[in-house]
Amino acid sequence: MVGDFAVGKTSLTQKFVNNVFSDKYLTTVGVKIDTADVSDTKLVVWDVAGRDALSPINAAYLAGAAGIVLVGDGTRPETIKSFAEIWQTVSGKLGDVPVVVALNKRDVDGWEVTDDLLQTSIQSSWAVFETSAKDGSNVPELFAALVDRINC
Amino acid sequence: MSQIDELREILVGGNAQEIAELRERLENLDQRTRDVAEVLAPAIGEGISKDDQLIEAFKAPVSQSLKSAIRTEPDSYAEILYPVMAPAIRRSISQAISSMLVTINQTIASATSKEGLQLRFEAWRAGVPYGQLALRRSLIYRVEHIYLIDRESGMMVTEYTKAETSILDSDAVSAMFTAIQSFVQDSFSQSEDDRLTDLKVGEYNVWVAHGSKLMLAAVIDGDPPESLKFEMYDVLDGIQSDYAQQIADFDGDNEAFGEVSGRLEPLLQLRAREEPDAEADGAQSQDEPQTPGTRKVLLIAAAAIIALVALYFWAVAANQRLVTETMLAQTPGLAISNVSWEGDKLRVEGLRDPDAEIPFAKLAAHGVTEADLEFATVPFRSLQPAMEMTRLQGELQPPSSLTMHPLEGRISVAGTAPVTWLMQHDARLRQLAMEKRIDYSQLHADTATVLDYIIANYSQALPARQSELLAQLGHQPWHKVPAKTVLQLK
Ligand SMILES: Nc1nc2c(ncn2[C@@H]2O[C@H](COP(=O)(O)OP(=O)(O)OP(=O)(O)O)[C@@H](O)[C@H]2O)c(=O)[nH]1
Ligand SMILES: [Mg+2]
Repeated sequence: MVGDFAVGKTSLTQKFVNNVFSDKYLTTVGVKIDTADVSDTKLVVWDVAGRDALSPINAAYLAGAAGIVLVGDGTRPETIKSFAEIWQTVSGKLGDVPVVVALNKRDVDGWEVTDDLLQTSIQSSWAVFETSAKDGSNVPELFAALVDRINC
Repeated sequence: MSQIDELREILVGGNAQEIAELRERLENLDQRTRDVAEVLAPAIGEGISKDDQLIEAFKAPVSQSLKSAIRTEPDSYAEILYPVMAPAIRRSISQAISSMLVTINQTIASATSKEGLQLRFEAWRAGVPYGQLALRRSLIYRVEHIYLIDRESGMMVTEYTKAETSILDSDAVSAMFTAIQSFVQDSFSQSEDDRLTDLKVGEYNVWVAHGSKLMLAAVIDGDPPESLKFEMYDVLDGIQSDYAQQIADFDGDNEAFGEVSGRLEPLLQLRAREEPDAEADGAQSQDEPQTPGTRKVLLIAAAAIIALVALYFWAVAANQRLVTETMLAQTPGLAISNVSWEGDKLRVEGLRDPDAEIPFAKLAAHGVTEADLEFATVPFRSLQPAMEMTRLQGELQPPSSLTMHPLEGRISVAGTAPVTWLMQHDARLRQLAMEKRIDYSQLHADTATVLDYIIANYSQALPARQSELLAQLGHQPWHKVPAKTVLQLK
């Protein structure tokens, strides 16, 4: 799980793994690891601390990853614009790995995802989901798509 | 032309010339060498790419010639191998030193800490050498879990566990180890060599052995001995070299590593080897399930009984030591500096006069037999009056008319003694007096025995001699009798 800080990486993981959601924001330090079974595949999910102006994604935590969930906050376009920079770190370390994109917080008012933004920030090979960690919409689909891409 | 030649001419015709050339080629050794040299390299290449047979065939001769080459030219091979061996040797030495330091630190810590003192006390009470007990103590540990982890991806290759209670998801744990590893390297150190090797979580020690591709993490309950680390590295190195291909191909599918968990098993059995009781205990509790409540009560009762028994033995042992110490301290000819339990023997240290009589009979009354005692004493001569008395009595054999008793640090020899005895011991008596060991100011010659002496020493009775001698002996103490007289008489 990679993306800017507070976009909902931890929230999506927790919703998916434990089916819980909290409004409280506790920023992730370092990395938190969870596991989940998706049909026959066991996912070990590395919920990495978010990127911000001061701290880039820690590439060490990307080592060996089989796939990537790029998470952006649909109400903060700059978090989606960051994908380019994040992808540079990721592909530099892992090459062309399977990627799914979560445009998160779909339930919140003030959705600011425009076609133009998608055009410039998202590569055609990536599968994009508009998700909500709060109501759970598209969360299982997001992870299922990642597993599909890893397995094929 | 013979018929044969004719026939050959008909069959092969003009080729006879070529055949001759071919034969020449086969028979000329130089030519043949050149021919083989030409095809040797491509032939070997072909052979190796085809199957393993050629490699097999080369194995023995190559290794043999290598061996003999190394033997004859060790220096040049050392030079070639140095860049390969040196880092490995360095690494193993630094590992050995660092683990030695840990052991030393542990020993120092345990020798001075409260636990260490407690252990000393227990060792003393049980009559077991401290080192032995400390060693046994430090062996009480249990390896609960072993994870074999792919360093690159953080994925678990395989695991082995003893505990039924695996609370954590092993895949998550493996990933976490790797994450912690990355975190440590990222936060504390730039160097690849600075790795997390030890980690403590509550009562648990987590030890990590790092290989080039895999890491082996052991979750241990208690404090294991350092040697476990070496065993971990042994297992890890073995797996890495035997499964090199599978490790390189590892993509999260651990089917290829099915057999590997068997190799981890010996690491888990370590504690059972040290403590067979634990196994027996486990087996019993399976037979008759007990509620935690009764189990607790039983445990407390057992602990109380053990404590009482221990206390009893401790009291007995302490008493025996005390009794021995007091009795020996009171024994003339012994100067005791220390009495202590060493194993099942009471060790007596100090000075011991060879003439001292150890009161074995009295000690036996307190349950201390001669076999229980071990004397680590330095021989000396005791000047204690009692010892002096015995010694002098033995040496001088004084007649019953004499009395001996301690007087102001010396032995007073008093009374009247037959002249014969006095003459016999004269020199020794004077010497003892000079050494301030005896006082013989109250020692007199028994004048009635003068005649006996003269008769015994001179064939005829000489009245003149007798009166002369009597005059000299007079009624004065023996030490006032001039030595000349004694000499004359002799
Ligand atoms: N309404 C709503 N709130 C969300 C959603 N996802 C996350 N949040 C909230 O956003 C805040 C940040 O969420 P986190 O999941 O902690 O974000 P993160 O990406 O893990 O943040 P870092 O660990 O700091 O990088 C929290 O207060 C969450 O409750 C969502 O889908 N809807
Ligand atoms: Mg987080």
